[in-house]
Amino acid sequence: MSSKKPNRWLLIKIYLVFKDLDPILHSQLRLAIVSLLISVKEAEFTFLKEKTNATAGNISVQINKLREAGYIDVIKQFKDNYPQTICKITPAGIKAFELYVKNLHSYLSVDVNVKINIKK
Amino acid sequence: MEEQKQLTSQESLQLIQQMIQIAKQEQKDDGKGWILWGWLLFAASVFTFINIKLRWVPTYFFWNAFGIVTMCFFFYTTGKYFFFKKTKGVRTYFKKTKSARTYTGDLLQKLDIGFFISIMFIVIAINIGSLSPMVFFPLLVNIYGFRILIHGAALNFKPWVVGAFITWFFGLIGLFVKTFDWVMLTHAAAVLCGYIIPGHIANNEFKKTKPMAFNKNIFSV
Repeated sequence: MSSKKPNRWLLIKIYLVFKDLDPILHSQLRLAIVSLLISVKEAEFTFLKEKTNATAGNISVQINKLREAGYIDVIKQFKDNYPQTICKITPAGIKAFELYVKNLHSYLSVDVNVKINIKK
Repeated sequence: MEEQKQLTSQESLQLIQQMIQIAKQEQKDDGKGWILWGWLLFAASVFTFINIKLRWVPTYFFWNAFGIVTMCFFFYTTGKYFFFKKTKGVRTYFKKTKSARTYTGDLLQKLDIGFFISIMFIVIAINIGSLSPMVFFPLLVNIYGFRILIHGAALNFKPWVVGAFITWFFGLIGLFVKTFDWVMLTHAAAVLCGYIIPGHIANNEFKKTKPMAFNKNIFSV
């Protein structure tokens, strides 16, 4: 029945919103890392590993991807003869995160509209 | 490398919320410092009050004892930092558990430095004789109130905010009382309401909150 089909314009809008979601942030572990870093000034690698429950190898790869995208700064240093890796979100990372959350919200509102439309 | 799970919008928001909650937990104060200093200050003022009535020892004996404890603590912390940190065993013993720096934590650290410098100013003032003990303690209470209020506001913890105003109230009373024993009592009451009670409340809340880590199961619900 044609009345149960979602509005074409809404589908286009959904497509545009989905397209807007940053692929760097739209992944479970990378989003978890950025969400943690946005709430603190800086965090050690061990802190991120502990709080995300991820393996060292996996988190290391994701941190590298975020660093290459310019979203985080990674400082490697020695503290009391022990290696220490400190991660810090960059202004570009903050901007990307804000945009990502904004797009998520707009997507959610579109999602609700589609459901209402289908129910009609 | 593990395959990265693609998230739905709902899951993304849930994840962000959970992570921010975990990070917020890092900013919680366990209240132990407040309890320790609170009881020390409380004991010093109450024993001084009793001593004034019973005349056991010189009037400022308990405050001098408090000063010695403070100096020991100061030397212990600075010594721990400068001399022991490179020794492996001791380093492990003093191992820092927190490995994230927060903006609030940094702000409160600076506030504490300012607080101790302000305290030093009035301690020097009383020692060179330019400040009467009758004014010294209410001034001290005034600075306590300031520190407690900023801590409470920064950590969004109401008992400290309320405690700050009660502390100022007792500080104000301390300015108008006529005898030193009453100054000691107002000081003890201020410390009880500003340091000890909120400190214990903060400690209880801290114990209740278990350390959080990312829970992958939230997506399967």
